[in-house]
Amino acid sequence: MKSARVLIYSMEGCPFCESARSFLRDKSLDYEEVHAPPGSSQWQEMKEALGTGVLPQIVIHGEPVGGYAHLVELEASGELYRKLGVSAPRAEAVIFDVIILGAGPAGLSAAIYTIRKMMKTLIISQDVGGQLAWTSDVDNYLGFSQVNAAELVKKFEHHVQSFNVETVLGNSIASVQLAGAVKSVTLEDGKTYYGKTVIIATGGGHQLLRIPGEKELAGKGVAYCSTCDAPLYEGAEVAVVGGGNSGLEAALDLVPIASHVHLVSLTRLTADPIYVDKVTRSPNVTLFTLWEAIRVVGDKMVEGLEVQDLRTGEVRLLPVEGVFVEIGTMPNSRLFIETLATNPKGEIFVDMECRTGMAGVFACGDVTSVPFKQVVVAVGEGAKAALSAYNYLLTRN
Amino acid sequence: MSAKVKIYSTPTCHYCKQAKDYLDEKGIDYDAFDVTADKEALAEMKKVSGARSVPVICIGDEVIVGFEKGHVDRALKALG
Ligand SMILES: Cc1cc2nc3c(=O)[nH]c(=O)nc-3n(C[C@H](O)[C@H](O)[C@H](O)COP(=O)(O)OP(=O)(O)OC[C@H]3O[C@@H](n4cnc5c(N)ncnc54)[C@H](O)[C@@H]3O)c2cc1C
Repeated sequence: MKSARVLIYSMEGCPFCESARSFLRDKSLDYEEVHAPPGSSQWQEMKEALGTGVLPQIVIHGEPVGGYAHLVELEASGELYRKLGVSAPRAEAVIFDVIILGAGPAGLSAAIYTIRKMMKTLIISQDVGGQLAWTSDVDNYLGFSQVNAAELVKKFEHHVQSFNVETVLGNSIASVQLAGAVKSVTLEDGKTYYGKTVIIATGGGHQLLRIPGEKELAGKGVAYCSTCDAPLYEGAEVAVVGGGNSGLEAALDLVPIASHVHLVSLTRLTADPIYVDKVTRSPNVTLFTLWEAIRVVGDKMVEGLEVQDLRTGEVRLLPVEGVFVEIGTMPNSRLFIETLATNPKGEIFVDMECRTGMAGVFACGDVTSVPFKQVVVAVGEGAKAALSAYNYLLTRN
Repeated sequence: MSAKVKIYSTPTCHYCKQAKDYLDEKGIDYDAFDVTADKEALAEMKKVSGARSVPVICIGDEVIVGFEKGHVDRALKALG
């Protein structure tokens, strides 16, 4: 066997081989590579020496250490640098018992449970509260007949902070490495955190219309938060796209402010009857059900919305200054889609105990395939994911 | 003298509140405008940002539409 300090047996088109390479490059560690596609003589040589045909295989000073996940684990514990006889570039990394990704209702609820189980917990999130920031009142959370969403978030946050949990906020997650006994999460600012388990609670983001003009005019008349932006449309003619609860709530936010509201929905209204009733009785709302929004018109600001009748094909231009897009959410699962199983909507599949199928990786809330996207559901699922992570660590240690 | 940081918001916007809380936390002085009550501020907001969306945060010459901590931090750093 060769005696390079770090040797990788690899082949083209193997994602973990590439991960291992870029990991070592990132750490400025030199390596030599042996191309060993299955069946080749190099592969035979590797199989005989290491007793496995799985790629990549990493060998340090002649000692086989395993695949990419093992490499990450060795690095996190500082062991890699000891083996190489070089000084570690930083103090030994802290390895958390659990890293919770996302501080919406699901992630915050999970944190309460992990902390109370004395698990060393880290929360990483862009913001606190998640989708609750997009709405004004919550009427269906047990114990509160009506509560301002911002206040509910504050209560959640205080509850979690009373345990002094470590949080990293205001940064987006750039990549994750979920295989192996130590998982890592790297943020956009380049910092990496390590955990024995990961709970994914990244929730959902706005579903986009994906029609011409939408992206160009976002924030310039195309709006995704009616609670925030409705007051900017006093006396204006506006359109709301979406016939579900959030669409009709947006329409109702706008009814007292705008001069006229056009409600455009691909389907019949699917919102709760209580909303449908209110909207249909509002004098300044025109319903376009079974119509499709096809183009946002405007140069610097929105000047109109083109809509098309699904039955007749007729196209009309609504002379609106604002287009509120409320066609639901899509899961924030982009980072996980290659490593975890998802359904056609991109929601992460979980079993009854919030397990994802990858050992030590759990998911909860709106990012999962669990139906009914509600705060109370997310909170319950968060608790389950935390207890599952706890059980997983108990059986491993 | 007017403050170097301005924030335009609506009373119902949670992100606006988060942005103000964040500036408070950092001890940054700012002028806050409620654009639902102050039409001049609304016109000014549209002019400087080209946007019809809140919050709009002006830090020195930087105009930020929406609240993103990283972006606010960078702009504050640039301001010195
Ligand atoms: C307009 C509206 C009104 C609603 N009204 C109600 C209601 O009245 N009652 C009710 O029960 N439910 C309501 N819901 C649904 C409810 O808000 C959600 O079910 C709930 O917020 C889901 O919680 P979650 O923690 O799974 O995800 P989210 O709330 O989406 O939180 C996800 C968290 O992950 C973070 N995150 C995501 N990706 C990344 C990344 N790459 N890097 C860093 N951080 C990331 C986000 O910043 C966020 O903090 C409403 C939703 C909307 C949109």
